[in-house]
Amino acid sequence: MATQSATASRPNLDAIKQKIQNLRQAYADAPEVGRIGLERMIAELEAAAGGGQQRAESAGRTGLRQGKVSELTSIVEFAPGGAKRLRALLTVLGGNFQGADKVGTLHDMRFVFIDNDTRLLFATTYDGDWDTYIDDFSTKIPDALDVLFSNMVGYPKKGMHDPAIKDWIANHQLTADAWYVASPNLTVPEARRLEKLGKAVDELLDKIE
Amino acid sequence: MSMLRESTGGNSSTQAPALELQEIQATVLRLRPAPYFGSHVALHVDDAQAGRELLRRLTPHVDSAANWWRPASAWLSVAISYAGLEALGLPHNSLQSFPEAFRVGMAARSQELGDEGVNDPKNWEPLFAKGQIHIALNAFSDSEEKWRRVVAIAREQCEGLAGISVSAVQDFGAQPGDLNSLGYRDGIDQPAIEGSGVEPLPGQGQPIKAGEFILGYPGEAGVLLPVPQPDIFGRNGTYVGFRKYQSRVGAFNRFLRANGSTEAERELVAAKLVGRWRSGAPLTLAPDVDNPALGADPQRNNDFNYANDPHGRQIPFGSHIRRMNPRDTQLTRLTDVNIHRLIRRGTTYGKPYDANALSEADDQVPRGAIFLFISAKAMTTMEFLQQEWINDGDFIGANGERDPIIGRQEEGATFTIPKEPVRRRLRGIETFNVLRGGEYFFMPSISALNWLANLSG
Repeated sequence: MATQSATASRPNLDAIKQKIQNLRQAYADAPEVGRIGLERMIAELEAAAGGGQQRAESAGRTGLRQGKVSELTSIVEFAPGGAKRLRALLTVLGGNFQGADKVGTLHDMRFVFIDNDTRLLFATTYDGDWDTYIDDFSTKIPDALDVLFSNMVGYPKKGMHDPAIKDWIANHQLTADAWYVASPNLTVPEARRLEKLGKAVDELLDKIE
Repeated sequence: MSMLRESTGGNSSTQAPALELQEIQATVLRLRPAPYFGSHVALHVDDAQAGRELLRRLTPHVDSAANWWRPASAWLSVAISYAGLEALGLPHNSLQSFPEAFRVGMAARSQELGDEGVNDPKNWEPLFAKGQIHIALNAFSDSEEKWRRVVAIAREQCEGLAGISVSAVQDFGAQPGDLNSLGYRDGIDQPAIEGSGVEPLPGQGQPIKAGEFILGYPGEAGVLLPVPQPDIFGRNGTYVGFRKYQSRVGAFNRFLRANGSTEAERELVAAKLVGRWRSGAPLTLAPDVDNPALGADPQRNNDFNYANDPHGRQIPFGSHIRRMNPRDTQLTRLTDVNIHRLIRRGTTYGKPYDANALSEADDQVPRGAIFLFISAKAMTTMEFLQQEWINDGDFIGANGERDPIIGRQEEGATFTIPKEPVRRRLRGIETFNVLRGGEYFFMPSISALNWLANLSG
């Protein structure tokens, strides 16, 4: 048994050594602050490489998922006039996306206008897999999505009801190269539930005191 | 069947297109009779010509859904797997027009379906190995005599056809009281289909666009779902899924005994698992004791919603019927329940339910459910249901739990019964229905069957 575990851990140690060596080599042409900082962090990095870190899985067709929480990152060109239209819409909403609340799985949504308003960086953290509920969006909130994304180049003519919609979304999505989630099991409804629960427990304890 | 009221002209406000009932196979709309008898026959096509000859002979006996609401003696349906379509010589372009899940077959979709562990296809009965079943015949009847006659007719057509082999025949039905293998009346709730020709039964809710269940008509989003090509082949057809379960009656009874010390307590636990008492009476309408008269009445046994049960204290969030049709339950994520429904033609096979079965040997006695489900996107829907509503509970507030009747339970699984003042959490729930095999089929229209039968080459 002892020999078995020894052999089992050997490839692991070698793999870590190799990763660190590759890292050092990659940083050979880094600016000085980077190289020095790297050496100071080596022990930490070795631990990270060896520690049972959670591996990101695929979130379906595109994107990464950690536990129950997935990322969607897109960079899309604005259609002519699209940037001003989207800005006008976002001004009205003012960060109050009740639509997002209704969806129930969106942790966050980010709209970043880049390259002098010619392109949009759209990013969201959401629960579950990529396209499980897209058909539900099509029947329940097609207008909200059409109003938002018809501002982008190539948005299918029939919008959410277009058979090409899933392809359009996937084609503009960039799967992240790394994805960190602090609480991978904390879905939006679970977080809300625990908030309520925490408050209720505190109230109960106050009563008991 | 006489309980159904013919529709007086359909939902003219939404201008639903008239369904071509004479093209659609009867089983798609015709309800399971009570009592019900029948057989599933699995055929293998060794020779394309023989296969098409069989279809030529069978198709005149395949019933359409014309006047489906009127009582009928017996009806025969035909469905074909992707492997079967290949074996029959369907042209390549046509084959490629089918969705991927259908093309690869149910065994190859085990990841999407969560068919792992005890339900893994490698544990399935050999009949369901990939590509084995080509044609599935299904005969339904309300009498033993008529059932046998339909099966005889079907058998006659196979006679003398070298190149067709019968892989299996599974008789079903004829259960005392039409109860399923766990002792319940089942198959009560069905989606109401717009333009189908009858008024919805009380509790079925608003009719759902026909295109969700039959190819060639608009679905809930107002557009057609993808139709296999050519149009004559795909239109008025639909997809049928087949999942055969072995019911572990001993385990079920042991679980009831572990969680109830009197008969009344056990029956309440049994009712909380399903959401209905054994008779079919829903807990919402019969909160304390079973009401067999209510359970037997199709005008009453489904006439409820969850408006007065926001905490799941009547029907637990995780109970089988609440998962399979959440109705107006406030779900945790935006969901259109109407696009996740299935027409169900489930049947029971094997020995009847035995309330005294307690041993592990009893778990192996061949009996259980043949779950037959129909939808214009049956593969997508079943895979969604397995992932979201059956083997997970986040969607409805049954976190960490799975469907108590058809979920695949892991070690340490629980089932929560919301209750005042404190919820009751039952531990050690096991997989009561083990998957023994399954397949995806295409159920062509009558014209499509003729077209297929008359292909050359």
